[in-house]
Amino acid sequence: MLELFAFVGLPYAAILICIVGTVWRFRNDQYGISSLSSQFLEGRKLLWGSAPWHIGILIIFLGHFVAFLLPGIWQRLMAVPLLLALAEMTGFASTVLCLLGLTVLFYRRLTTARLQKSTNIGDFIVTALLLVQVGLGLMVAGGYRWGASWSTGTLTPYVWSLISFSPDVSVIRDMPIVIQAHVVGAWLILLVLPFTRLIHMVSVPLQYLFRSPQKVVWNNPRRNNQAVAARVTQESRRHFLKAAFGLSAAGLLLSVGVLDKLGRFFQMPGLHHDEEANLLETRLRRLQLTAEEKELELERLRSDHIYVAKLAELNNTVGKYFIDYSMRPGLAFRAEDGWPMLLSAKCTHLGCTVGNQVDASGRILCPCHVSYFDIKTGMPNDGAPAKAPLDRIAWVLRDEQGTEVATESPRGSRTGRLDPAVADGYSLYIVRSLSAEA
Amino acid sequence: MKQPLVSTLFDFIASRIPLHKLDVRHMITEKEVPVHRMSWGYYVGGLALFFFIIQVFTGMMLLFYYEPTVSEAHESVEYITHFVTMGALIRNLHAWSASFMIFCVIAHMLSALAMKAFAKPREITWIAGVLLLLITFGFGFTGYLLPWNQIAVNATKVGLASIDQMGQYLPAALSHLAEDVRVTIQGAPAIGQATLSRFFALHVVILPLMVFGVIGLHVLSVQLHGMSPGIEDKPRRKDKFFPIFILKDFKEWGIAFLVLFILSLCLPFDSLFPYPLLEPYNALGSTPDGIKPEWYFYFVYYPMELLPFWIIIVVMTLATLGLFAAPWIFKGTSHKTMRWIASAIAAYMIIMTLFGENIYHAIKG
Repeated sequence: MLELFAFVGLPYAAILICIVGTVWRFRNDQYGISSLSSQFLEGRKLLWGSAPWHIGILIIFLGHFVAFLLPGIWQRLMAVPLLLALAEMTGFASTVLCLLGLTVLFYRRLTTARLQKSTNIGDFIVTALLLVQVGLGLMVAGGYRWGASWSTGTLTPYVWSLISFSPDVSVIRDMPIVIQAHVVGAWLILLVLPFTRLIHMVSVPLQYLFRSPQKVVWNNPRRNNQAVAARVTQESRRHFLKAAFGLSAAGLLLSVGVLDKLGRFFQMPGLHHDEEANLLETRLRRLQLTAEEKELELERLRSDHIYVAKLAELNNTVGKYFIDYSMRPGLAFRAEDGWPMLLSAKCTHLGCTVGNQVDASGRILCPCHVSYFDIKTGMPNDGAPAKAPLDRIAWVLRDEQGTEVATESPRGSRTGRLDPAVADGYSLYIVRSLSAEA
Repeated sequence: MKQPLVSTLFDFIASRIPLHKLDVRHMITEKEVPVHRMSWGYYVGGLALFFFIIQVFTGMMLLFYYEPTVSEAHESVEYITHFVTMGALIRNLHAWSASFMIFCVIAHMLSALAMKAFAKPREITWIAGVLLLLITFGFGFTGYLLPWNQIAVNATKVGLASIDQMGQYLPAALSHLAEDVRVTIQGAPAIGQATLSRFFALHVVILPLMVFGVIGLHVLSVQLHGMSPGIEDKPRRKDKFFPIFILKDFKEWGIAFLVLFILSLCLPFDSLFPYPLLEPYNALGSTPDGIKPEWYFYFVYYPMELLPFWIIIVVMTLATLGLFAAPWIFKGTSHKTMRWIASAIAAYMIIMTLFGENIYHAIKG
């Protein structure tokens, strides 16, 4: 019995009263058909309450109406998972907007004295009804997900059965109490509509969207200047807000993309086993190279003789690099006459390391600024950036028993002699005592 | 009556740093930016600042992975480039943004010169700006070494060796002084770990601290004095600094970031060098071909290759001193002449940067 009243009696009564009441109000209280705007009494909170509420509720309204009026099309759209998810998300977001807006509006009514003078009991009933209704809607949406899809098979037939005057409560009878309450709430709102400020729904000033703009022109020059100044301020504020909004939106998009990249920079790179091994191997090799370099350095600090090469390994076409006592590169050659020649490989121009390939005219090249150095004398070519010759490096030759056979000082004066028959077995050294002399 | 020196000095500082204008009204709400055909010059300084901010952030990020030792530096850079997620992007951002920043700093300097922006009471702004220019070159020089690859170390070697060159012009008793200076900068007779540690410390701690201080002074005095008029005549129009100019500034920043980001995603900075130059530095091998400094040093590098060294020293010293003293040297110069001078310098820089190598080869064969 209660069911029949709630889902058949109440709806018909509500629709009837709504129609009759609206007509009655149009005839008797035409100037009262408005939302009873209180913008003049309080404007700031109104903006933050009214705008979200109206945006939210219009979107939700639209969703409900499409589902009720075009169930076929709606059903087919909602069969696409992406669209269904999109519809649900939009619905949720709009509901939250509505609740926020309503809360602000409610709070505003409660806390602004001058508003309370123009507030009647009807306003509180409407606000409470709407709050409950939106809250119930949110509970339905949260508790019984995908309502956008299931409503077309349950609630839509119920609404249509009412419209076609063959009421059928069989579906709605077994529905959860929250959904039933939401339906009853809808009829109650319809019922009170003609007698409250909700009547403004039927008098939306749509013509405002299309009428030509009105401009207030002041005859009084002072007022006119004030108006112009005010408009300029407003324009520049609008300009700034628009630009600031555009920039922050762009900035937001940008930072989402950029932060995504930056965030991942700090994550541990997930390396493959082999990659990790290769990486470690390279690193180890580099460490070994550094260690070898340090050893060379230590050797030069500790020992009086440094081995360069066997005389047999040297020739006059490709120089052999070695490191001298000051840890700088040197080049070892063997001249045609069989004697070794040691030159510093540090270019006398700007200190680059000279190449070791001897060209046809017996010269080596510093590639940095193209200076050719004669390997016999160390002299640079004419017009080369380098002006000074490469330093000679002193050496000592020893035979296989380790006895000193010959030496050369940094100035190029030789002692000893070279026996061509056994010279190939001689070893070449640089000597600290001779280097220090230089 | 002649004023005492101290009070003259205080008067000078008080009029150059008008702290009584240190409030929102003077510095933001009432500040105006003239609109004229040189107005673009007002944006390049902001862009330089923007690229510097990018440098600070990407630099800090690179610090998470970079290891400043001779054995690890190159490997850690390789690791960032090839293994760290988005590591290549961050490194490219740092490298490209460095070049853009230096470009903007130079353009900013030239446009300020052309607009005679150093004129009284903006001398301190200008001097801080010249300091920033030098620090920026310092950043470039020290940062170039950090990847520890062939081109990095060898180019640094060449750059530092030019200090040695100065020794030949000093009296015999002092001729070792130049080498002492170089060794002190290097921290060792040859470039090695000591040099890397020093350059690293300079690049990530000392120079940034200096920049923060000097930028603070620079930007503060720009805000205190407002934009320089830039041209002789009254500008036709003025934009409010806030909100109009600052929004335009941010718009430029947005575009700059887009260009930088796309470039960094698509084109590795390294791709401008042949590979052998990017191998780890080999202390024992010979110097590879094609060692040269970054493009922003070409304007002094190629002349150095072509002319006797003493000319370079004299010209560079005079140029640097001239920059610092510009507010006094060009006190009476007209805006028009300043534009000519700035254009001539710009033309020289552009020609040397773009065609320096061709000129070098044409002359040296």
